Amino acid sequence: MSVMEREGDTVSTGAREYLTFRLDQEEYGIDILKVQEIRGYERPTRIANAPEFIRGVVNLRGTIVPIVDMRLKFNCAKAECNAFTVVIILNLRSRIVGIVVDSVSDVMELPPESLKAAPEMDSMIDSSAVVGLGSVGDRMLILLDIEKLMSGLDMGLVSGEV
Amino acid sequence: MAETQQESGGSGDSFDLTQFYQIFFEEAGENLDLMEQMLLNLNLETADDEELNGIFRCAHSVKGGAATFGFSDVAELTHQMESLLDRLRRHELQPNALMVDVLLESADASRSLLARHQAGETGEPPSSADLVRRISELASGTTPSQAAPAPVAQPVPAVVPPPTGLSVKGERQLEIRMGPLERPAQADAVKELFRDITGLGEIVDMPSDRADTRVFKVGTSSSNEDLLDLFAFHVSREHVAIRDLGEAVGVGVAPQPGHAAMSFADDPPPGTPIAPAPGFGFFEGAPGAPEAVKVTAEGAEPKGSAKVVARPNAAHQVQPEAATIRVAINKVDQLINLVGELVITQAMLAQNSRSLDPAVYQQLLTGLADLDRNTRDLQESVMSIRMIPMSIVFSRFPRMLRDLASKLGKKVDFVTQGEATELDKGLVEKITDPLTHLVRNSCDHGIEMPEDRIKAGKPETGTITLSAAHQGGSIVIEVRDDGRGLSREKILKKARERGLDVSDQMSDADVWQLIFAPGFSTADVVTDVSGRGVGMDVVKRNIAALNGTVEIDSSEGYGMRVSVRLPLTLAIMDGMSVGVGEEVYILPLSSVVESFQVKDEAVNTVGQGSRLVKVRDEYMPVIELEKVFQVPRFDFEKSSDIMVVVEAEGSRVALLVDELLGQQQVVVKNLETNYRKVPNVSGATILGDGKVALILDTSALVRRSRH
Repeated sequence: MSVMEREGDTVSTGAREYLTFRLDQEEYGIDILKVQEIRGYERPTRIANAPEFIRGVVNLRGTIVPIVDMRLKFNCAKAECNAFTVVIILNLRSRIVGIVVDSVSDVMELPPESLKAAPEMDSMIDSSAVVGLGSVGDRMLILLDIEKLMSGLDMGLVSGEV
Repeated sequence: MAETQQESGGSGDSFDLTQFYQIFFEEAGENLDLMEQMLLNLNLETADDEELNGIFRCAHSVKGGAATFGFSDVAELTHQMESLLDRLRRHELQPNALMVDVLLESADASRSLLARHQAGETGEPPSSADLVRRISELASGTTPSQAAPAPVAQPVPAVVPPPTGLSVKGERQLEIRMGPLERPAQADAVKELFRDITGLGEIVDMPSDRADTRVFKVGTSSSNEDLLDLFAFHVSREHVAIRDLGEAVGVGVAPQPGHAAMSFADDPPPGTPIAPAPGFGFFEGAPGAPEAVKVTAEGAEPKGSAKVVARPNAAHQVQPEAATIRVAINKVDQLINLVGELVITQAMLAQNSRSLDPAVYQQLLTGLADLDRNTRDLQESVMSIRMIPMSIVFSRFPRMLRDLASKLGKKVDFVTQGEATELDKGLVEKITDPLTHLVRNSCDHGIEMPEDRIKAGKPETGTITLSAAHQGGSIVIEVRDDGRGLSREKILKKARERGLDVSDQMSDADVWQLIFAPGFSTADVVTDVSGRGVGMDVVKRNIAALNGTVEIDSSEGYGMRVSVRLPLTLAIMDGMSVGVGEEVYILPLSSVVESFQVKDEAVNTVGQGSRLVKVRDEYMPVIELEKVFQVPRFDFEKSSDIMVVVEAEGSRVALLVDELLGQQQVVVKNLETNYRKVPNVSGATILGDGKVALILDTSALVRRSRH
């Protein structure tokens, strides 16, 4: 990875670091600063009457953390949980939330010029939660504003208040 | 639930308050430290309300506690500090460096007074008379700055404390000056005291040189302190000045501590309106120089010397200071979480070692068994650090109420309920102050005088009830009294006076909420008990900080109920774990009545399929947890055939479950921290194997069955 201007560049001008993960065949990136840790999948405690993509809650060292399955949320063809299934624990403002993904790829530094605005499209994802598309070689990264995505009312993570 | 009744009369005496001294000393120390810190950081030019309010609240809390425990010297000093701070936060005075100095000195003096009480009240009491005088001078605004000469023409309404330990026999002639007062008519009420209380003495009006000041000539045999106490109902202490007119029998017994301060107050040396502490030097070595004054002059240090004196005979009755250590709550939380992890790891090891051959791995298995026992003990001890029963809080009140009631001339019974309810220490500490305010308010403003009660057709003795209970996902603490209740008109009138936006159409609940506005008070007179309007604002603020709510319910003439509802976060609970399908749920043990295996014929259906079960001649609705929680079934061999009868909000329902797994203490965790409210669930807990189990909200389930 090329080392570009490193100092004080992470705010708006310079390159940002993204954690990339796979959902089925698609590759997504989220701001690395929102990631608290990455864990293996363990079966959560189911919560009755919750949306299907909320797998339940787990105990993260004494804290009760809800687990959202991104594959169910984004309507992926299959959402199996096996030895490679990974949970990314996110620290969003004052909340801690875990998301289930197929696998975590790596951490990438993307300069702003390699980001392209996402075109209007019909997808499961609220288009305002997509920051842009990043191109790394011939791969396409869908960059998500995970905070916005998670605090959306349709996620059912918050009750009423935003 | 345990229930005790503490009479406000004689039985209150037997109650040992000393066990709470330690808590008070710690709290007061913390408050004084905090105040000192805030005073030091205070920017005099740009002091904002928040800072001044904060400092004020510290003084208020220390005063409240000191009064509760009967440390009148500390209460008196902090009361003066409070008065000064009160005027500062109302912007009636501009803070200056002199005030900060005096307040800091007073904080030191309060500390040394407390240290003396803590050491068992032995040794010479340090006198705070001089500080009290200086603060009240500052508070009255008569000495604007160090440079300005003392205004000679203006009388200084200084509080002159009575000579300590001096019992006055015989009648004395006193000149009592009350003012400056907003409504001088208040002072006239004092005359009624002399008329009503036989043996108090004579009072005669004297010409006053100022319109806002009343002057009386009094002949009495009561001590100054008693008089001040009596007057406090009508005129606050800082507005009363008592001057001896001489011809007293038995006053000039000996040079007593305090006398120097008295003459000092009457005749301040010109040019030194406020004597700085070192200024006392000129007393040193003078024959009969009051020792106690010197102790205060040395301000910061008498702590040590007082303790040294106290040690020899106090050791057997006072706990040494090292008996407790104060630890930051987050350190304890971290400990709890780590122990939780340890228990899970231990459980995993135990599971994996089961397949080992005991003959070969004997030592390893013995070690694991020890580990098992030790982790459990460790977990139990760590948990117990945080949990204390409400009785710790409740038992502070009987004595306070007794003193307060006798001071106010009221008759009050104090009843407590549910003191076994365990609550997180962090919550207990934070709930104590608000509760103290609420109980004081009930006694001071709620309960009427005995004769008024009889007139209103109520029993002469009022009742104040303090109760605690777990309710759904919360703990509810209630302060009830059967006094006069809140007056809607009076509150609305006060609110309008203060320029708040109110209308006559407001609902009762909205009107009651008005009393939580900062500085709002419905009391006509500010006493040293309450009425400054800080109480409710502090109550609301403290409880909101705990994510709690305060509700008021009142009916004029019949009483008032204040319910404080706090979330159960980290409260510990006895739970019964039940299995449904593959899942485990926790029921609060306190709501479980009984459980039994059900026979098919005992269940009847009514109307649209709702089912009833007959338990000992009583029909109750059946709630199938499997359906409520949509539990998936994999094993169709098993089915729910056990009924657990739970009671909540006065009615019973039978929950249908697969199996009973056991009883255990669980730590209640909040689901809403990272998730949201889940219907029929009050919280979650972590089981021994590290899995999360949901705690059922029995009240919600009962309510559900009603629809």
